[in-house]
Amino acid sequence: MRRFFSLSLAALVALGPLSGCGGGPAQEQEGGVGKDQVVIAMPTTSEPEAGFDPAYGWGAGEHVHEPLIQSTLTVTNADLTIGYDLATGVTASQDGLTWTVTIRDDVVFTDGVPLTAADVAFTYNTVKEASSVNDFTMLDYAEAVDDTTVIFHMATPFSIWPYTMANVGIVPEHAYDPATYGQNPIGSGRYLLKQWDRGQQVILAANPDYYGQAPQMKQVTILFLEEDAAFLAVQAGQADVAYTSATYSEQDPAGYVLAAYTSVDNRGFNLPVIQGALTGDVLVRRAINIGIDRQEMIDHVLSGYGTPAYSVCDGLPWYSEASEVAYDPAAAAALLEQAGWVLGADGVREKDGERAELNLLYPTGDSVRQALCADFGNQLGELGISCTIEGVGWDTAYDRALTQPLIWGWGAHTPMELYNLYHTEEDTGSARYSPYANAAVDEWMDQALACTDLEQSYALWQKAQWDGTAGVTQDGDIPWVWLVNVDHLYWVRAGLQVAQQKIHPHGHGWSIVNNVDQWSWT
Amino acid sequence: MNGFNRRRAALCLLVLTLGLLCAVTAAGTLLAGQAMVTDFTRKNLPPCVPFLFGTDWMGRDMLSRTLTGLSLSIRIGLLTAAVSAGIALLVGACSALLGGWVDGALSWFVDLVMGIPHILLVILISLAFGKGFAGVVAGVALSHWTSLARVVRGEVLQVRAMPYVQVAEKLGLSRWAILRRHLLPHLLPQFLTGLVLLFPHAILHEASVTFLGFGLPPEQPAIGVILSESMGYLTTGKWWLAVFPGLSLVGVVVLFALLADQLRRLLDPASVHE
Repeated sequence: MRRFFSLSLAALVALGPLSGCGGGPAQEQEGGVGKDQVVIAMPTTSEPEAGFDPAYGWGAGEHVHEPLIQSTLTVTNADLTIGYDLATGVTASQDGLTWTVTIRDDVVFTDGVPLTAADVAFTYNTVKEASSVNDFTMLDYAEAVDDTTVIFHMATPFSIWPYTMANVGIVPEHAYDPATYGQNPIGSGRYLLKQWDRGQQVILAANPDYYGQAPQMKQVTILFLEEDAAFLAVQAGQADVAYTSATYSEQDPAGYVLAAYTSVDNRGFNLPVIQGALTGDVLVRRAINIGIDRQEMIDHVLSGYGTPAYSVCDGLPWYSEASEVAYDPAAAAALLEQAGWVLGADGVREKDGERAELNLLYPTGDSVRQALCADFGNQLGELGISCTIEGVGWDTAYDRALTQPLIWGWGAHTPMELYNLYHTEEDTGSARYSPYANAAVDEWMDQALACTDLEQSYALWQKAQWDGTAGVTQDGDIPWVWLVNVDHLYWVRAGLQVAQQKIHPHGHGWSIVNNVDQWSWT
Repeated sequence: MNGFNRRRAALCLLVLTLGLLCAVTAAGTLLAGQAMVTDFTRKNLPPCVPFLFGTDWMGRDMLSRTLTGLSLSIRIGLLTAAVSAGIALLVGACSALLGGWVDGALSWFVDLVMGIPHILLVILISLAFGKGFAGVVAGVALSHWTSLARVVRGEVLQVRAMPYVQVAEKLGLSRWAILRRHLLPHLLPQFLTGLVLLFPHAILHEASVTFLGFGLPPEQPAIGVILSESMGYLTTGKWWLAVFPGLSLVGVVVLFALLADQLRRLLDPASVHE
C-alpha cells in the first residue's frame, strides 16, 4: 500500500508546482487612498521589456499607446483625428517629402533643461536607427532649423506621418544613453517614473513642471498580474482598476463595476487566395463573409461584450462603410452552389470529388481566439464546410498562415495597418501575411500615402477598401474575413471616474491609462 | 476462504485493474469524436445528469474529454514504458555481460542521464522532436530507462556469479544459450514489475510536460491540456474542470501501481507460494 500512497503523492507533487502562482500585488494598498492616486492591474505582457525608451518599443510597436513619461509632437483625438501636443503647427510640402513642424517653446524636461527642436530631431534620427518595433524607412532624416522648428526629410511621401508622430516620445539629447535610458527615463510628459520593480509594478508620479493641465491623479501605480491574479486583487480590494475578460464577466465583486470599452481590437481570419485551394475562390470567400453570424459569436464567446467586425479599422476615420454586410446564410449557400460546391450526403459540400474542408489555426494559449476559432468552424460546418482546428505557436504561425486560415488580432490607430495587410510586397508580389494581390487596391493606398492632405487621404484609404469596382470588401476580393471587435473589460472601483476612452486599439494594456491624468474620485 | 488464497486474490485484483484500464482506454477511444465537439449553448455547466463531469467554456463534455485524455495517456504510457524498458534491458544486460570499459562507459552514461532533472530532460527532448505526440513519446521514453537499467545490470551481475551459471559456462554452453536459458527467465519478474511501474511515471510526466505547453497540442483532449486550461477558470469557481480530470489521473496512476504490485506478488519467488 505504501507504494500507492507514494505514487498518489507523487501525482500531486508532480502537478502541484505546475499550478503556478500569480504573484500577489507588490504592496498592500487600499484603493483610492488620498483620492489622487490610483492602482491599476495590467497583464504581465504589458510590462515593457526594454524599459521606457521609445527607441525600443515604449508606446509604439504592436500595442500603441501614449508614452505618458515623454511628450509627443501630435496626439490622436477622441475621434482618432490628429491633435497637437508639443507641436504648434504641422505642414507638408507639395511633393510630400518635407514635413515642417513647429513646437512649443515653454517645455522643459524633468531635469530642468528646455526641450528644443534639436531634441526632436535627435529623437527621430535615433529611433530611425534603433527602433526594434517600428518601421521608419519612410524617414530620411530629421533636422532642427532653430529651437522651435524641425524639418523631417522623407525618403518617400507618407501622408499619415502625423499618426507616427503621435507615438514617438521625445527624449533629451543631452541625457540619452541607450543602455540606461529605459530604466531611468527623462521626459517632459505628464508623469515621471518614480519606481519600477521589474516583474511587479511601476509607479508613476505627476510631473510638477508639466506644461499642460496638471494631472488630477498625482500617483499612478501599475501592477503586472495574470488575469486570475488581477481578479483576486479586485476581490481583495487591492486594485482600483483591473483588466479582465468575458470569462469573468459574470462575477460580481463587491464595490466594483464592470466597464466595457469599445475597441478596434478585432479578430479575423485570413483567407489565403491560392489558386486551387478552397479559399482561392472569391465566391467561397464571399459566402464565408456573409455566412457568419457575428452577433451569435459575440453572445457565445464574448458573453455579449463585443461588436461585429467588418474590417480591420471599424469606426476609424479611414473606415469604408462598404465593408459592412448582413448575415445571410441562404445567400451564402447560394454562392457556394454557384461556385460548384454542392451538399454531399454527410452535410459536407463537394466539388469534383473533393470535400470542402478547412484546417483553422489559432495561437496556443489564447482561449478567446480558440473559442472564436471553434465557433467559426461550427458555423462553417452549418454552411457545409467541414473544419478542424489546430493550435500553433507564433514561431510557426506566420508561415502556416501563408497557406491556411489563422485567427489574427489587429486594430491600430493608423491606416498603415491597411497597407500592411493588403498591399503587395515588392519581393514576393503578394501581401505580407496572407497570399493576396490586387493592383487597384495597391494603387489607392500608394495614392493615399502620397497625398499631402491627411483629411483627403482618408477618402483614398476608403477607396482602397472599395472604390465601386474593386477592393477588399464583400463585393471585392474579401481576402480576410473579420469577425468581432473585442470590448476591453475592466473592473473599476465604485467612485472612480475613468475619463472617456478613445476606441481602444489592439492590446489590452496601456491604452486605458492614455488619459489617466484626467481621472478623478467622487 | 477455502481455495481463495492471497495468490488468487492477487490474480483477481490483477484482472480487475487490467479490465478497468482496458475499459477506460476503449471508452476514451470511442468518445474521441465527442470530446472535440464544441457547443456554446451548453457552456460552463456544472456536473449534471447529461454531463457528469460538467462542460467547459466551449461547451465540451468534460467526461468525454477526461476519458479520451486518459486513454491517450495510457496509450502513450504503454508505448513509452515499452520503449524505455527495452532500452533499459539492452543497456543493463550489455553493461553486465560485456563488462570492462563498456560497463564503465554505460554506467557513466546512466549516471549522466540520471543527473539531469527529469522534467527538464523530457522538455528538451520533446522540443527537439518537435513537440506533439512524437515529442512526448520520445521525451518520456528516452529519459525513463535509467533506474530499470541499473536494476537489470545488478540482477545480471548477481545471476552470472551463481554456481549454476558458472557450471553452464564450464560445460561449454554458448553465451547466447546461457542468456536465454538461465539469465532471462530469472530477470523476467524484476523486469516486468519495473516495466509496469514505468507506466504511472510516464503518464505523470506526459501530463506534466503537456501542462507546461511542451507536449501534446492544445486542441487534443489530453489530461495535461485539460488541467492547464482549467487553471484560468478556477478563480471563477469552475472547480469541476480540474477536480474530475485530476482525480481520474490519480486513479489511473493508482491502478497501475496496484497492477504492478499484484504482478510482483504473482511472479516474485518470495511470494509466489503465498
